[in-house]
Amino acid sequence: MKIQIDNLRFTYPTGLEALRGISLTIEAGEQVAIVGQNGAGKTTLVRHFNGLLQPTVGSVLIGDWDTKKYPVAKLASRVGYVFQNPDEQLFSKDVGTEIRFGPRNLGYSKEKIDGLVKRALALTELSDKTETNPYDLSPTWRKMVALASVIAMDTPIVIFDEPTTGQDAPSITRIAHVIAELRREGKTVITITHDIDFCAENFERVIALSEGQVLLDGAAIDVFGQDEILAQTYVEPPQLTRLGKRLGLKETVRNQEEFLNALKR
Amino acid sequence: MHERLSFYIKRNSVIHHLNPLTKLTLVLALILIAFTSPWYWTPHLLVLIAIIPLSFLGKVAPEFFKTALRLILPAAGFLFLMQAFFQPVGETVIFKFYFLDMTQESLMFAFRNATRVIVMVSAFTFLLLTTHPSELMSDLTRRGLPGQFAYVIISTLQILPQMQAKAQTIISAQRSRGLDTESSFIRRMGSLTPLIGPLVFGSLAEVEERAIAIEARGFTSKKVKTSLHEIPDPSSDKLIRWVLIILVIISIALKLWLS
Repeated sequence: MKIQIDNLRFTYPTGLEALRGISLTIEAGEQVAIVGQNGAGKTTLVRHFNGLLQPTVGSVLIGDWDTKKYPVAKLASRVGYVFQNPDEQLFSKDVGTEIRFGPRNLGYSKEKIDGLVKRALALTELSDKTETNPYDLSPTWRKMVALASVIAMDTPIVIFDEPTTGQDAPSITRIAHVIAELRREGKTVITITHDIDFCAENFERVIALSEGQVLLDGAAIDVFGQDEILAQTYVEPPQLTRLGKRLGLKETVRNQEEFLNALKR
Repeated sequence: MHERLSFYIKRNSVIHHLNPLTKLTLVLALILIAFTSPWYWTPHLLVLIAIIPLSFLGKVAPEFFKTALRLILPAAGFLFLMQAFFQPVGETVIFKFYFLDMTQESLMFAFRNATRVIVMVSAFTFLLLTTHPSELMSDLTRRGLPGQFAYVIISTLQILPQMQAKAQTIISAQRSRGLDTESSFIRRMGSLTPLIGPLVFGSLAEVEERAIAIEARGFTSKKVKTSLHEIPDPSSDKLIRWVLIILVIISIALKLWLS
């Protein structure tokens, strides 16, 4: 499902202008990472995608729906949003019930819900924990429950707000696996992240925001190549990209494979 | 987002630079004089010649009048009406409303009491507008107020806006999961559990973390603590406080002597 943002401006009630004219198109099935310093407007931008915030000026279209005309509960059938802190959304006494909550709100049939929950549990490796109380799990696993509870809603667009913050290496691998699986299913994945290495390894398109405007937007490889511009929003290219540049490699590299290939030549 | 719940307005004025205890003494003195002075017009005069000029001196007059209009006047007005009608004193009836009589005496009585309340509330409003709560508390703690007491006050002021922000995030997170918070009352009642659960769990966890964090910095230690922010208390402040205390004593003495 396509997302079309046209000249989006947003001012908070406090008078802070968080977004100053953003126009973007995100095609169905794209994997997009949004980077930028704190206060650049990343979260403000994605909260427009499911109607939590309404544009002050401009418009946001999710498929053929203008977010101004649909309530959040309705937009939830098109856009899934995983919040940063799982503790701000988990309330059920066991993992299974928690994950059923979203799809049930969307009014799916019982058979469909069963299937979706099963798939979400398998994807996040939670299948053996359905009976557990989410608060008995470690924070990394609670994050997985939050992820599963949104994936089970089977929305064509999924947003992750800083999924890797505070996660250990196995958990980050699991999250990367989830994103790869969603890509395979043809879903749009939009991720806000400060973890540039994670961004380089899992996303093709990178949008860098700075002070409420799009600073850079393009293929990850092109965006990471422009380190001077990225520095304006306090983003450093991934370690291997910087190392490659210091070594004088001709092309910009993002990951180990590209780095080794470039070295061989 | 994480603003403290306080009226405090940061301005650069003579009043802002006074020691917090001096301002607290000033407020208490105004209230005591308004309630004890034997002269009928004292509370009215205090509002006109003390509290209003002080709000200008403290450069908070616009905010002061706004709060007064919204909060203090309606409350005082209500009190005035109640007392004017229900105070069973005096003979000179000047207004009759069914079985309710408003006499000249009850009117005078109500007018003074309402103004006393105005003095009390507006004096505190003035204090809150010009004094940061944590500055007042740290000054009082330094003078021997138990730390636990200050903690209760300050943490309450701090926790409420934080809980409000947290509640807002939780509502957003659950709406993103398709929770309907905008339709009928019955449906909204049903959607309370997903909102209250995380709020209560989260807040309890925060209280515990906060307790551990402050204890890690020696909260219950009996040793005398130093403070990062030295709050000045020049001799002019001490002089003002003594003058205020003497005025209160005079007011009380006059009251006792004349009655």
